Amino acid sequence: MTDSKYFTTTKKGEIFELKAELNSDKKEKKKEAVKKVIASMTVGKDVSALFPDVVNCMQTDNLELKKLVYLYLMNYAKSQPDMAIMAVNTFVKDCEDPNPLIRALAVRTMGCIRVDKITEYLCEPLRKCLKDEDPYVRKTAAVCVAKLHDINAQLVEDQGFLDTLKDLISDSNPMVVANAVAALSEIAESHPSSNLLDLNPQSINKLLTALNECTEWGQIFILDCLANYMPKDDREAQSICERVTPRLSHANSAVVLSAVKVLMKFMEMLSKDLDYYGTLLKKLAPPLVTLLSAEPELQYVALRNINLIVQKRPEILKHEMKVFFVKYNDPIYVKLEKLDIMIRLASQANIAQVLAELKEYATEVDVDFVRKAVRAIGRCAIKVEQSAERCVSTLLDLIQTKVNYVVQEAIVVIKDIFRKYPNKYESVIATLCENLDSLDEPEARAAMIWIVGEYAERIDNADELLESFLEGFHDESTQVQLQLLTAIVKLFLKKPTETQELVQQVLSLATQDSDNPDLRDRGYIYWRLLSTDPVAAKEVVLAEKPLISEETDLIEPTLLDELICYIGTLASVYHKPPSAFVEGSRGVVHKSLPPRTGSSESAESPEAAPSAGQAAEQPAVIPAQGDLLGDLLNLDLGPPVSGPPLAASSVQMGAVDLLGGGLDSLMGDESEGLRSDVGGSPAMGGSGFTAPGPAAPAAMGAPLGSGLGDLFDLTGGVGTLSGSYVAPKTVWLPAMKAKGLEISGTFSRQVGSISMDLVLTNKALQVMSDFAIQFNRNSFGLAPAAPLQVHAPLAPNQSVEISLPLNTVGSVMKMDPLNNLQVAVKNNIDVFYFSTLYPLHILFVEDGKMERQMFLATWKDIPNENEAQFQIKDCSLNADAVSSKLQGSNIFTIAKRNVEGQDMLYQSLKLTNGIWVLAELRIQPSNPSFTLSLKCRAPEVSQYVYQAYDAILKN
Amino acid sequence: MISQLFILSSKGDRLVYRNFRGDGGDDVTDAFYRAVTSLPGDRAPVFMAREGRHFVHVRHGGLYVGVTTTADTSPFVLVEFLNRLVTLLREHCGTLSEKSVSVNVALVHELLGEMVDFGYIQTTATEVLRSATHGEPETTKAFSLLDLRSVGLFGAETQQSKVAPGSITNRPVLPPRGEQPARSELFVDVVERLTVVIAANGTPLKVDVQGEIRLKSFVPGGCELRMGLTEELSVGTEEQRGYGRLPLAAVAFHSSVDLEEFEQERVLRVTPGPGEVTLMRYQLAEDVPVPLPFRLLPSVEWDPAGRLRIHLKLRCDLPPKQGDPTLCPPSPPSSHAINVVLQLPLPREASSLAQELSSPEQTAELQGGGRCLRWAIPRCQGGAQLGAVFRVQLPPTPPLGLGPAALTFELPALTVSGLRLRCLRLSAPPGAPPAPPQRWVRHLTHSDSYVVRL
Repeated sequence: MTDSKYFTTTKKGEIFELKAELNSDKKEKKKEAVKKVIASMTVGKDVSALFPDVVNCMQTDNLELKKLVYLYLMNYAKSQPDMAIMAVNTFVKDCEDPNPLIRALAVRTMGCIRVDKITEYLCEPLRKCLKDEDPYVRKTAAVCVAKLHDINAQLVEDQGFLDTLKDLISDSNPMVVANAVAALSEIAESHPSSNLLDLNPQSINKLLTALNECTEWGQIFILDCLANYMPKDDREAQSICERVTPRLSHANSAVVLSAVKVLMKFMEMLSKDLDYYGTLLKKLAPPLVTLLSAEPELQYVALRNINLIVQKRPEILKHEMKVFFVKYNDPIYVKLEKLDIMIRLASQANIAQVLAELKEYATEVDVDFVRKAVRAIGRCAIKVEQSAERCVSTLLDLIQTKVNYVVQEAIVVIKDIFRKYPNKYESVIATLCENLDSLDEPEARAAMIWIVGEYAERIDNADELLESFLEGFHDESTQVQLQLLTAIVKLFLKKPTETQELVQQVLSLATQDSDNPDLRDRGYIYWRLLSTDPVAAKEVVLAEKPLISEETDLIEPTLLDELICYIGTLASVYHKPPSAFVEGSRGVVHKSLPPRTGSSESAESPEAAPSAGQAAEQPAVIPAQGDLLGDLLNLDLGPPVSGPPLAASSVQMGAVDLLGGGLDSLMGDESEGLRSDVGGSPAMGGSGFTAPGPAAPAAMGAPLGSGLGDLFDLTGGVGTLSGSYVAPKTVWLPAMKAKGLEISGTFSRQVGSISMDLVLTNKALQVMSDFAIQFNRNSFGLAPAAPLQVHAPLAPNQSVEISLPLNTVGSVMKMDPLNNLQVAVKNNIDVFYFSTLYPLHILFVEDGKMERQMFLATWKDIPNENEAQFQIKDCSLNADAVSSKLQGSNIFTIAKRNVEGQDMLYQSLKLTNGIWVLAELRIQPSNPSFTLSLKCRAPEVSQYVYQAYDAILKN
Repeated sequence: MISQLFILSSKGDRLVYRNFRGDGGDDVTDAFYRAVTSLPGDRAPVFMAREGRHFVHVRHGGLYVGVTTTADTSPFVLVEFLNRLVTLLREHCGTLSEKSVSVNVALVHELLGEMVDFGYIQTTATEVLRSATHGEPETTKAFSLLDLRSVGLFGAETQQSKVAPGSITNRPVLPPRGEQPARSELFVDVVERLTVVIAANGTPLKVDVQGEIRLKSFVPGGCELRMGLTEELSVGTEEQRGYGRLPLAAVAFHSSVDLEEFEQERVLRVTPGPGEVTLMRYQLAEDVPVPLPFRLLPSVEWDPAGRLRIHLKLRCDLPPKQGDPTLCPPSPPSSHAINVVLQLPLPREASSLAQELSSPEQTAELQGGGRCLRWAIPRCQGGAQLGAVFRVQLPPTPPLGLGPAALTFELPALTVSGLRLRCLRLSAPPGAPPAPPQRWVRHLTHSDSYVVRL
């Protein structure tokens, strides 16, 4: 016999030849011919032309030949339905054959012929076969009902086959039960509402009995069906569990997993106090561990399932950590999955062991695996707080290896550790900065930039570091660009004086030179925030971030519960419910775990609380920084549409109150600043999207020494001659920070004009010249009224005293603290930035004396919540001395009363921007502490007014 | 549920194809083959989703044996089934090859018809199938003991030979109907897999022994087999198991095994039909010290120029003599390891290798583009110590560190756990053939993962 005899090509001649052989009288020859036909059919050749000849061979008592003919029929009946009818009679006859094998074969084959006319003839034989005396026939008939249902569901229902099928659940033969269960389960899936699988304790009992006797495949059908049952109480759940547990030691891993599924589901109903619960937990671990000795692909499937189980009930495998240690010859997908489970199982008890393993993995050859191992160390740190320090030092060790990808991954995870434990491990930043140059992956660069921005105040050269990134801004990925923008804004808010240019640069890069809408929008938002309300900007950008937790990578609890119901199926591998990937899924039944019953719920011990519950209580997912900004966009901070509201949007400092007080000057300042804004960016103003144009930051950080003072005239108030209190000079800018230039100074108000009295000292070795000064926008619009006049170059070790006249018509921006002034001083060497606090009394104007009636009315008019009380301690002056001393600084006493031995002074003052402050000063002769009550429509100034009082009275 | 089942040749030709549920076109095999061949690497993943179908396949003898499913079916069911199918095909067709399948295509169809109905798996038991099928297997060639290609344990994919006639297991289990079996034979394999991680200081971090007892029978059904295991065996967790010298953490038995005498006598009773079954799977308890077969004593010298001198001492700690000659079968006089291969990953790509090996049959080479050093030792006697010196030229950058070293080896006629077959008795049914069947018992340990950290 040659091997290729069945595989000759079917030319016309061969078909003809086969035809002749099929019609031969000799049985052997016939059989060989049919075999040849089947062989041709199998390899995909068209032998349908032989249909009548093959069907003719059907009436034979040779079972082997019959099977082959039936196989042929199944294949070609659909394409030749008319001819297939010819075979019906033989089928019907065979269904009555004394040989059960033939009866079963006939009914099986008929079900596979998907031709309507044939199915009509199928009903009667099927009805008989469902009640056949031979179990082999019955089990085949049970499957046939499912086949018929697939072809014609209505027919099956009309003929009452479903009821017969239900009866088969109580059959004496376990194989019949198993097939009936399988068929019913499938049919039930397409009728989610029907009560087909109406399981009750009796039928469950029968299933459990059949479970012990049927084949392994039948056991799987039954177990899968049991998993859909909802026991009525915990006692029933326990008894089912007890009878399913022996399946855990089956050699077929599919049986084991199906049993695990049933147990995991019913355990939900058991009280954790039960001894049985603990026993069951112990019994679940060994079979799961055994699954890991299968071939790698099955290991992977097992690990995906274990991943679910561990999330649901970590206690099952908490002692089995070692099983999940990676073998060097595991395929990468197994390794990665094991790592994931290791982290889920990591606890204080085993963390040392886990870390030692992870550190080993981090030196392996496979790059993907090494990366994941480094990340895993970070996740351990976040999960097990006690281990954080160890994890950080392990990561530092890894950074020392200088292996590029290890360093980068380590930096990414250290960022996460910072987010979990802020202000704890900043000492490592220096080490991280050393590796700045080796970072070439966007994620690592972004992480490093985030760290620099977040801890800008502790990194001396943060601005230089960030500036170095800025050079190639446009070549960076979006991730890095966004992070760089945010980091520089943070830096600016933390060190405003030194980084104006940087922030301006990054804002213009982001808004003008980028095509990325995310980047542009974020840039505009920062820009607006900074230019309208730096305090709000600070609150937003430097807001305290929620801590991250390890829960972020857990599966959502409801999904987890659903997936537990699909243990052992493809859904558990994909970690998606079947509806998400089963094509044309029939009526999808949403499975869910049974609710826990029993009264002992409240008595649960805390450490045994279900992880799902814990996860639900945890804050969900931490919003990334991008989200935070996204939220902002939805707030009303959005840019106003037209001109006038633009001004309103800029006045954030208690705007309503201030406007109510009729503060024309403030409005005047404001609109002037704004005009320059709009003028600087006509395109944007015109488009209705009135984001601050480039002119806005230009005003705040424009090049220095451009004779800015000329812009404004000196506008002093007209008032009495008075010498207001002048604080001694303090060093504002130490020489160390300004390449040898030391600036000290103070503020004074004389004859209605404010001046800044400066002493510039050259402590460098070279001559300084070309001095200029500029102020950042500030709360009261303070600005130099004249250029900084230093007439001769400043020789080394020489000082010069200058009195710089100021006015209050500069741009206004609310600062925090309110009296903060950011100053830039330029000389021939460099530009230096510093900030200082000015005493508020330099802003008290000379016409600050209110009419008595007016005072009373205003006092009543200002709501009480605007009143602030302060104590001025250790002041030994009497009321008159106080009064005259304060008058020198433009605080005017309007009335004085003596109530029960206390002196009450009623005073008023007015700020340069028109804000009135009313005061009541209570002086008890015997008590060195005065009580100061301040009322003001803009209550945020009260504190600074108090500071002014305090300073004046004590000097 | 299985939608379609197919067996494809290595070239993608359809050898067997069944569409059990009448859904989906007949072109799935082409889709599958395209998917398999379009993937890089020589091993496609077992699970693949293509064109709305989930393919599951295994490869044996160059053939793709696969199924498709659209429903949410258990992957374990499918893979277990495919593995069982492959075993059954071997039992019925002898070897599994393109030739044997195409010659027996009618028989394969008959088997499949009994095994799967409408995608529901019905049975995979050899005995049941035997009674339900009528085709006769056609063998593709005469058996030859000299055919070395088919040498091997059926239980483990190893190159171990010489212990028992290997090719004898590669014939159909079922004798032609109506003939007395030419020879009734019985094979029992005790195969253990060893997973070990040894820390740099020489202490074992993890020792994991998994084993299984497999039986392949060419004896006609009806005989009861009594298999006595080492008596010191004990099963369960630490509290449960008492003082046995050979504690097992987990044991799983085949459903046909009768455990009546197991508790007392450590005897497994089974009435095997012809065919292959895994009688018992076990895992050694972790807290038990197992004598480790190999120790590695490395010493490494760095040179700033990138020269690396590695001196490796490999000690084989197998007992020079093992076991009790009164056992059945008697233990071999001494133990040894074969096919020992040590692989040592290098920190950077090495450009050259110089070696000093202690015997000419050993070999050493660089692999993986110079990232790995491979030292092969064909045979290593118990108690022996082998030394080797390697000089490797690496790029002169600060190295990351060597290792870990991974060893693969086989220990013939030895189980590291010490679990052995004490006795193997076959009680013949009434009217049995006069000649008792030939019994072969084989023990083997092979390394699953044996890692020594440096």
